[in-house]
Amino acid sequence: MTVRPRRAVSRVFLNLAAIVVIVASLFPVYWMVNTSLLPASSVRSTPPHWWPDQFTLKNYQEAFADDGLVTALFNSMAVTGITLVAALVFAFLASIAVSRYRFRSRTTFIVAILVIQMIPAEAMIISVFRVLDGWYLINTIIGLSFVYIAMVLPCTIWTLRGFVNGIPADLEEAAMIDGCSRTGAFWRITFPLLAPGLIATGVFAFIQAWNEFVFALVIMTRPEAMTLPIWLRAFVQATKATDWALVMAASTIMAVPVIIFFLIVQHRMSSGLVAGAVKG
Amino acid sequence: MNKTLGAVALLGASALVLAGCSTGGDAGSSGSSEGAEIRVWLVGTDTPQDARDYLKKTFEDENPGSKLVIEEQQWTGLVDKLTTSLSSNDSPDIVEMGNTQAPAFTSSGALLSLEDIKKELGGDDLLPGFVEAGSWDGKLYAAPYYSGARVVFYNTSMYDQAGVTVPTTLDEYVSNGTTLAQALPGVSGVYFPGKDWYNALPFIWENGGEIAVKKGDKWDAQLSDAASVKGLEQVQTLMTQASLAPKDGDEADGWVPFRTEQAATYSAPSWAYWSIVADEDKQPTAVAETTGYFALPGMKSGSTAQVFAGGSNVGIAAKSKNPDLAKKALEIMLSDGYQTILAKAGLVPALTSLGDQVAAATPELAKVIAAAAANAKLTPASPNWADVEAKGIMQDLFVNIANGGDVTSLAKDADTQIEAILNG
Amino acid sequence: MSTISMPEVTSNAAAPSDPGPARKRRRFPWAPLALLTPALIMLAVFIGWPLVQLVIMSFQKFGRAQIFGAPPEFIGLDNYVAVLADPEFWAVLGRSVALCVVSVVATMLLGVAIAVMMTKLGAVMRTAVSVSLLLAWAMPALTATIVWGWIFDTQYGLVNWVLTQVTGKDWMGHSWLIDPLSFFAVAAIIITWGAIPFVAFSTYAGLSQVPGEVLEASSLDGAGGFARFRLIVFPYIRSILLVLLVLQVIWDLRVFAQIYALQSIGGVRAETNTIGVYIYSVSMASGDLGAGGAISVILVVILLAISAVWIRTMLRSEES
Repeated sequence: MTVRPRRAVSRVFLNLAAIVVIVASLFPVYWMVNTSLLPASSVRSTPPHWWPDQFTLKNYQEAFADDGLVTALFNSMAVTGITLVAALVFAFLASIAVSRYRFRSRTTFIVAILVIQMIPAEAMIISVFRVLDGWYLINTIIGLSFVYIAMVLPCTIWTLRGFVNGIPADLEEAAMIDGCSRTGAFWRITFPLLAPGLIATGVFAFIQAWNEFVFALVIMTRPEAMTLPIWLRAFVQATKATDWALVMAASTIMAVPVIIFFLIVQHRMSSGLVAGAVKG
Repeated sequence: MNKTLGAVALLGASALVLAGCSTGGDAGSSGSSEGAEIRVWLVGTDTPQDARDYLKKTFEDENPGSKLVIEEQQWTGLVDKLTTSLSSNDSPDIVEMGNTQAPAFTSSGALLSLEDIKKELGGDDLLPGFVEAGSWDGKLYAAPYYSGARVVFYNTSMYDQAGVTVPTTLDEYVSNGTTLAQALPGVSGVYFPGKDWYNALPFIWENGGEIAVKKGDKWDAQLSDAASVKGLEQVQTLMTQASLAPKDGDEADGWVPFRTEQAATYSAPSWAYWSIVADEDKQPTAVAETTGYFALPGMKSGSTAQVFAGGSNVGIAAKSKNPDLAKKALEIMLSDGYQTILAKAGLVPALTSLGDQVAAATPELAKVIAAAAANAKLTPASPNWADVEAKGIMQDLFVNIANGGDVTSLAKDADTQIEAILNG
Repeated sequence: MSTISMPEVTSNAAAPSDPGPARKRRRFPWAPLALLTPALIMLAVFIGWPLVQLVIMSFQKFGRAQIFGAPPEFIGLDNYVAVLADPEFWAVLGRSVALCVVSVVATMLLGVAIAVMMTKLGAVMRTAVSVSLLLAWAMPALTATIVWGWIFDTQYGLVNWVLTQVTGKDWMGHSWLIDPLSFFAVAAIIITWGAIPFVAFSTYAGLSQVPGEVLEASSLDGAGGFARFRLIVFPYIRSILLVLLVLQVIWDLRVFAQIYALQSIGGVRAETNTIGVYIYSVSMASGDLGAGGAISVILVVILLAISAVWIRTMLRSEES
């Protein structure tokens, strides 16, 4: 058949394109790690070192020696953890309300959470600051978490709503006919189907909270309250002109937990996207 | 399903409300001196560790039961942080700020009046220009903390190689720069990054120009006046013909090229000396033996130029919970003991009587520093000047100049922007 | 991610959401309200109230003195007029729109192309591509900007070195950030690089829903690859693409972190401000919250206008 050689050529072409995508996606990550494992002097020389031929862990040692890092790591994990759990629970409840029930202000709510995503967060910094300040929540982990929860709720509700919509209520009805209570039907039938969606939403909330910068800068002013992005920026400013290797090490430290989290959930997440993304 | 879910929801909601209420715990810390904590914000790395230790120890010795905590902040984004923090219930007690940023906060009610302790802080012994920057409506709100004189460092062997001597006039300084660059390929005659507007100011002032002058009620920006333009053109010559620094680079860590022998001349605050002759590991650098210095010369032979008076002011937050203790801590910071430590680290102290204590490796450097400090000048004393700096207008202007743009039209643009902010 | 129901797709789980039993409609909606309460509280307190404050401030003369307690003065529409008359605002808006258009187009085209490619790859290659895209997506925006900034560094950057080797001209010392156009090219690369994975994954998910039989039938009928894509596949994924498009437009127009970080690395701030950074600079750095508020309101109005049609379509399908 004449189809075969054409298919073979396009197969090669396809794999080549795939390789280009892989390289383009991975290169900055690779370059960051590569630079972080080189001594500072090699980094400021040409030609560039394509791989860590002068391997050293000194940069990481120096980064961890800065006691701000460990505290910032802890703060980020705490804030992100709280945000993740709370946002998932609240968004889950809200998405059930919006998908499984009809009530008068439902449409208003849906439009509202879409419009909220259009508001530039930077403009509300002072107002949000004052709300927290009024409750003495400045420089507290819970205070920052509250802000983050509110920040991610619109998008997470939106996403979960799509997932819940994709699971027809008849499944529960069928289970109830078979003798399950309504709650039982929900937990046993619908909830497991929702798991991939929860994971996908969780990942999104995790990234938002982990990387958020502007509010953390203004709300967490005490050194012991800093989150990782703030610590990283202060660190970069202090060492930029002299020590790019150290900066890359610090950047890697900030990126690693996210990457680990991603790799853990990636399988469930892609299936989650498949299961829920298309459903209306 | 409804009941369970509803119950969960209500539980969540009440947990929220409870959490919100319960963290009000610290709010009640009173103004009593029992177990109080004073938070001091120091910016950047200029204050030496000895001074910090002295402050903490002296304060805690004099005020048993209270603690002093120093929190380190960065210069970038400082104005934003001060704006929010000083207005919050969790405000730090003492804050350091750039002398050019002080007017923004003295004029807005963010700081406590220091009139009642002005004498204890030093009274007339305080650096006059800085007192002016830290006062508003006749009252002192932000005391001078320290100043820096700018000194020109040069590589003696490179100067010999290029056949150039220490300049005695500003014009000679500029022509030396280009000669050096031509004689030494790969080396900056004068290291002048594009964002380094502090070092560009003397050229404007020495040629008779000004950044902005207050005429009656309004500020008149004068960067595009003929006199200023002449200075700007000198800067352009240096940036384009004598300097290999990045056109959009800033002045941070600018001593690195100098100490790695990639620059023949470098103008910097006097304490940069210690970073030039020794690196971060306290090892002597390549130029430890060949570093010379002079005060930037003025237009006339034998005079010194008016240089930018860098430095900081320090104030007490209006919302400080322990104003009396904060005042005591501030008095320590402006005491002879503390200020002498600053002087010995190469900073120009806030107390003029201690001016001769400024340390230098040699008496000549001390003389140079004193000469430069005596002729130091400040940016326009407007509360809105901090906004001009925050928007980076001066940096943008010089980056464009470094790129070879038309000086007069760039200056006119900058003038329009500056006037809009200062008068707005 | 798409939330539009697609009535024409007859796969087994794509039924539109069912209302609860009819009798609930007439009683007061206790259940949904209780479920919504935690989310509503968070949104109302931390977004709703600040939003109200923002709008109020946009009608006032609100500067640093007011932050520290001085009473603000009500000046009606003066802030809005000042902003709309300020040529800098229009320059900033223009730049933001241009950056947004370039980034969104690049992201969507490349994202969809990668998704299509992923459907045709073997399992091993596909996993490799997935993992790479995931890693790119996981990189925090701040970190990504720092790393790309380092790659494009003026003095020691990789790009300059490679170009010097390749073209023979000396590129060392060439600043990529000083010229606004070049600055935005770098910014667009960073933004697109970070945004493609999301589009690729979502589109891929949608593509895998296209029933295989329909595709086979059409190819047996002689339809070529591209025609197949255009006429068969595209209608299936159109709604996802639309959602992705709107989200990307909103996010890219509002972009803040990457521009802010890039500006602190280099470039001329006044010439590279986009609207997110501009609002921050006006509100925080200059302390003029009144103007900042006005600009934000104007931005939201613009975004609403852009997405109005889509919102209406989406709402209509909700009701059905």
